[in-house]
Amino acid sequence: MDFELSEEQRAWQAKARKFAREEIRPISLERDAIEDPAKTWDWEIIRKGSKLGFRTMAVPKEWGGLGTDFVTQALVMTELARADSAISKAFSQCWKWSHLIAASCTEEQKERFLKPFLADDTFVLGKGISEHSAGSDNRLPPADDPKAGLKLRAERRGDEWILNGEKAFIANGNIGKLFFIDARTDPNAPLKQGTTMFLVPRDTPGFRSGKVYNKSGWRFYQNGEMIFENARVPHANVVGEVNGAVRKSGGAGGDTTGGDLFGDLELAANALGICDDACETALKHARTVKQGGGVLFEQQLIQLKLNRMHMLTEALRSFVMRVAWEHDRRIHSPNPGLAMNFSTDVVQEVTELYMDVRGGAGGAMDAHADKLVRDSIIWSHLAGDTVQRLKVAGRLGR
Amino acid sequence: MFNLHLSPEQLEIRDTVREFVAREVKPVALRPERLEPFAKPLLAAQLEAASRLGLRTLALSEAAGGAGADTLTCCIVTEELAVGDPDIAAVLAHTAALARRLERAMTPAQRERLLTQFVADERFHLALAERGIAVAQDGGEWRLNGVATAVDNATVAKLFVVQARIHDGIGALLVPRDAAGVSVRAQGGHWFHGSRGEVDFSDCRVSGGNLVGAIGTMVPPSGALSLGIGRAAYEAALEYARIRVQGGRPIIGHQAIAAKLAGIAIGLEVARAAVWRAAWASDHPEAFADRSLPDLPLQSIAEAFAPEVMLRAVKDAAECFGAMGVMRDMPLHKYVHDARVCLHSGEGSSGARLHVAAAITE
Repeated sequence: MDFELSEEQRAWQAKARKFAREEIRPISLERDAIEDPAKTWDWEIIRKGSKLGFRTMAVPKEWGGLGTDFVTQALVMTELARADSAISKAFSQCWKWSHLIAASCTEEQKERFLKPFLADDTFVLGKGISEHSAGSDNRLPPADDPKAGLKLRAERRGDEWILNGEKAFIANGNIGKLFFIDARTDPNAPLKQGTTMFLVPRDTPGFRSGKVYNKSGWRFYQNGEMIFENARVPHANVVGEVNGAVRKSGGAGGDTTGGDLFGDLELAANALGICDDACETALKHARTVKQGGGVLFEQQLIQLKLNRMHMLTEALRSFVMRVAWEHDRRIHSPNPGLAMNFSTDVVQEVTELYMDVRGGAGGAMDAHADKLVRDSIIWSHLAGDTVQRLKVAGRLGR
Repeated sequence: MFNLHLSPEQLEIRDTVREFVAREVKPVALRPERLEPFAKPLLAAQLEAASRLGLRTLALSEAAGGAGADTLTCCIVTEELAVGDPDIAAVLAHTAALARRLERAMTPAQRERLLTQFVADERFHLALAERGIAVAQDGGEWRLNGVATAVDNATVAKLFVVQARIHDGIGALLVPRDAAGVSVRAQGGHWFHGSRGEVDFSDCRVSGGNLVGAIGTMVPPSGALSLGIGRAAYEAALEYARIRVQGGRPIIGHQAIAAKLAGIAIGLEVARAAVWRAAWASDHPEAFADRSLPDLPLQSIAEAFAPEVMLRAVKDAAECFGAMGVMRDMPLHKYVHDARVCLHSGEGSSGARLHVAAAITE
């Protein structure tokens, strides 16, 4: 066994740590405190990070990207999340769909979409799957209800597809420049056989953004509604095959390397960054704050909490790095999903312990502890809810 | 004799408050702007309506114009109110409990002079300043100086009960809000329930007739409050699970969701048993004497246990709502926050645990 990182991996990690400490950390709490959910985004940090390669690092080298491996990506996500989980996600969301483009788009599509993505520091990506009445049904389509799942309709008219319907909770929905949109192209077929994926640029006629959701945490990273009213998308923008969006053999668009697989690693690695932040800050707090004549750290209960925080965090780190390493070797297993589920339990317990260590005496709470706890609550929905656990159990049972 | 019956009066007041909350509090408390995690003005009209129902004077004796409710009844009322709005519940719980302590510490003449006003005025609340105030006797008067921080009900109180070292022991001075030298600063943020603030006494003078006996330490209502918050989340999740269809059926039809809801119900019942037992015990000290109850700080046990179990419960309830469970303009996010406040307010769950530890190692 070899846990050593390569020189290149260490360089990326150091670069991410520096950027996170110097640029992200100083704006983290102020962005979190903005009350209007549509005003939390900051293009300046995206531009700065993009110039350092943090927006495009997952694009393969042959296409002009930086071609980093999964281990590097995990290291960078963790470092960025250590300064702000939501800003880390804002960058890695672009990697998620870079993987999808690389795996599923034709050369012609790559030419049309990857090049502008690489050239423009403010070009961010998104993918629309969820709808108001179709969330879990997309993740785990029920065998006994073939009509379940997304309803957004696409109908062919000549060389175009006409899209009608709404997407909900879509990351970057109001600011992204290019989206992958799953639409029902055969309403009579089950989800897996009747859905097609389309590349939909922001300026598509008939497409507009709706409201921005007002999330508890992850304030910087915006989720919005997407509304399609006779939106016209050229046939050339179909990803993969018509009615082939969700293939049995792989993830979206027949993707077996990135996309879905990356998403599991992504949430686990991001959670790890929050845990690192919580551990580091809790330890510092315990060693400096005085209570009852001594520093907090002298109390056994505080030591036990710090012990548990670090124990869980290091266990998660081992799991995250193993999954990243397995991805780089194209080893397929239920581990990414298990790591993602596990990261939910870990990030929530660790941040709650951190909140305990900081205390809430007199009805005041430290803003940083408050933020980490709110940021981590989204894992309940994205990574560790019943459906996400059953979905992974399904992989075990196969 | 092990008896878990509530009295007809207790059942009636529970139903009355439950109906009041459903009709008058919930519709207002659930407006999206009130769900946001920022400091919000108290629901003054609802607070007054609750007072008209007798909830502010609940624990005063009937002779003094109250309902003579015991601790268990107060606990039941606090839970019911907190289902609708924990802030109203906390304000009323403080005033009601403090009024009862005060009545016991007063002379008949003081009751006549001060409690009559309190009973008559629906907007009359009480606050206890436990620490930070120095008092000195000056002729027939008392002079107060100092700042009391994190005082519950500070912004709504018309009378402050200031506990201080008097002569050789602890006593309390009653200081009207409008006395010269009293100023109140509301505490911001959203990490407490009810109203909280800083009370500044500078060369404030009250007459010798305002001195009463010691009030003692107030028991925070965090156990009963957390039950109400847990109930609200549970009821919302149960209702939603019956109408939300995913996976081919209402989600309550899935084993995993039904079992999750069952877990919440189990948590609620066990936590309520702990909270009620502690309340009943404080109404029946003889049950310690005859060895029916263990020689343990049951109140601290309830405080250590209930808020922790309720946080787990509201998080599980929120999960049933998917993405809507984490949105600021939806109720579940607020219930999660409110449950965290119970866990961290007062001495907190960890503090209560240490209190139990101290008791068993004595």
